[in-house]
Amino acid sequence: MIRRTSLTALMSAVALVAGLGASATAYAQQTTLRVFSGGANQRPDLMRKLFDQYQAKNPNVKVEIETGGATSELQRQYLSTVLNAKDSAIDIYLIDIVNPAQYYGAGWLEPLDAYLGKPADVMKPYLPVYASSNVVDGKIAAMPAFADAMFMYYRKDLLDKHGVKEPKTWDELSVAAAKIQKAEGNPNLQGLSIQGAPIEGAVCTFLLPYWGQGKDFNDAAGKMTLDKDAATKGLGTWLSMVDAGVIKKNVAEVKTPDTVNEFKAGQVVFAINWGFAWDRFKDDKDSTVQGKVGVMPLPAMAGGKSATCVGGWQWAVSAFSKNKAAAAGLVKHLSSAESSKFLAVEGSLLPVYQSVYIDADVNKTAPWFKDAANVVIAGKSRPMSKDYGQVSDVIRTTTSAVLARTKTPAEGVTEIESRLARVMR
Amino acid sequence: MAGPTTWDRVRDPSEKTLGFMLLAPAFLLLALIVVYPIGKLIWNSFYDLRLSGGGGIKFVGIENYVLVFKDPDFWNAAKNTVLITLITVPGALVIGLGLAMLANLPFKRKWPVRLALLLPWALPLAFAGLIFAWFFHTEYGVVNDVVRRVAAPPEPAMWLLRPNWAFAAICLTIIWKTSSFMALILLAGLQMIPKSLYEAAEVDGASKWQQFWQITIPMLTPSIIVALIFRTITALQTFDIPYTMTKGGPGNSTETLAMLIHKTTIDYLDVGYGSTLAVCMFVLSMFVTAFYLKRIGRNA
Repeated sequence: MIRRTSLTALMSAVALVAGLGASATAYAQQTTLRVFSGGANQRPDLMRKLFDQYQAKNPNVKVEIETGGATSELQRQYLSTVLNAKDSAIDIYLIDIVNPAQYYGAGWLEPLDAYLGKPADVMKPYLPVYASSNVVDGKIAAMPAFADAMFMYYRKDLLDKHGVKEPKTWDELSVAAAKIQKAEGNPNLQGLSIQGAPIEGAVCTFLLPYWGQGKDFNDAAGKMTLDKDAATKGLGTWLSMVDAGVIKKNVAEVKTPDTVNEFKAGQVVFAINWGFAWDRFKDDKDSTVQGKVGVMPLPAMAGGKSATCVGGWQWAVSAFSKNKAAAAGLVKHLSSAESSKFLAVEGSLLPVYQSVYIDADVNKTAPWFKDAANVVIAGKSRPMSKDYGQVSDVIRTTTSAVLARTKTPAEGVTEIESRLARVMR
Repeated sequence: MAGPTTWDRVRDPSEKTLGFMLLAPAFLLLALIVVYPIGKLIWNSFYDLRLSGGGGIKFVGIENYVLVFKDPDFWNAAKNTVLITLITVPGALVIGLGLAMLANLPFKRKWPVRLALLLPWALPLAFAGLIFAWFFHTEYGVVNDVVRRVAAPPEPAMWLLRPNWAFAAICLTIIWKTSSFMALILLAGLQMIPKSLYEAAEVDGASKWQQFWQITIPMLTPSIIVALIFRTITALQTFDIPYTMTKGGPGNSTETLAMLIHKTTIDYLDVGYGSTLAVCMFVLSMFVTAFYLKRIGRNA
């Protein structure tokens, strides 16, 4: 009796496997691509629409979407696990601009030269910072999806009211902000809001006044080229603004949303934040600054040049994908000028093509992109390293400690140098 | 006649074989979820295993352990962990004992008191950390609001941005969070003490204070030791509350061992060195547990 039951079970299992095999043959023409599209800030809803467009044109390709991880760090942790296991489940993934070097170094992504062409030709139409960040060791590591950058937002109404022009240097900004604060007489009004909490934004807080002196943190090969005096001076600039009352004293507690909320509440004259903040100032119901906000290039240090911190997202094909050619085809569509325009019009995501910034349709929905283009073009990428997780942690933790005044700028810079000397060589 | 085959032995096992067979599933399960991970951890600690490099695995012997001993971050984290343990365990014991004695008073309705005791314990650690981070926030925090109304200092205190104050804030939070657990265990102990002892002491003319030291504390010692063991082991593993309150900051002045291990493996993707740190923490926990067990042996 028992024997017969197990025989029946075995036979039905064989039949099931055979059936599956038959249906697999029937769908042999159909390629399914699975795409990791980041978290809510990367607008998977819009990405899904881009996939649908591609599916309509290529009926033999089916695109599945996977999302997860609210922040760049969480997404990196997840993808590291998947890719270390050499998992072929995900064909394409959306990665932060700080990641192509790391992923390429780890052998996790498929160079796209063979599918798309020579790097010099393929990358030509893109903004320079994206063209360079996505080429590693002379190979196309990933293709730009959309841009982001740290912008200097300011209260147009207050600057006009007090006859202050857009400051060109940090010193000018400090003076201008102090003048407005004094004239307004509001003790809660901050001159400048920056992010000092140990979050990713603090990496940019460290780099902005350093880059503003025309210095680089690393060379093309990723080796650290830290100018300690310039870095010390950069951190000192923030502290002197704290002393002048332009930046608030507990700046080491300030995170990205704090800057957004306080600016929205009308308590900030100048604020540094990512591109998404613009829509929050403009569209949020609780924003008291609608129509009063301007965007300008970041100030430079006296005698230096303006530079901002660039973010943004790229499409990469997994080295473990079983459908690399099909995946490269989809990436080509996703990184096209049409897709960039679609994301700009539908979601105010910053274009990676210079041409899209001056597109008439784009300028109708997002007039500020005209100004934004110059800011993004002047942007620099954060240090490229296969150990970016560690580089970021060291810089943001130390910067926050200096802004909390538990370390002097000189001590902080020495610590950054000694901790990263091993990692960035 | 041939002897019994293996199949026969399985079908009709001797007492001893049956014992092994019955134990096997539990043993296998334990091996899978306890022995294997710990073994793998110790194994990894002898390798250069960095996931970020893609360079593969390299045997490095005891190099990771040498690095740990030279690593100022390790010693800083170890110091913070031990300090948190030394401050919060006795702190929670004292507060917990007070709460337990309070709850042991003959209230008409017992459930509101019990509920009040249970609530902090039922709250997830990370939530407690996030809530207290708001309490101690320089501008929006309730702590500074109260201070401002009472003392009106010229400048609000930046609790979480000063190393010692941040440390104190974290310890306060941990004591608040964990003393209710202490109180629950001690309350059970208190209710085991026979009332007749107190009545006899009353007749003999002992004061309340004498009753406390001569009856309550000695009778409660077994419960106190159990509570201390649990609390000390979890204190050595402190992670959630400092992670959510300060992320180890400012700098790494409030970073604990568990946080350093998390950072090394999850953020830096350095699994080899992270495993070495974890082995060191494991050894530390073993020492403390062994110390307690020895003390219990002496008391029993």
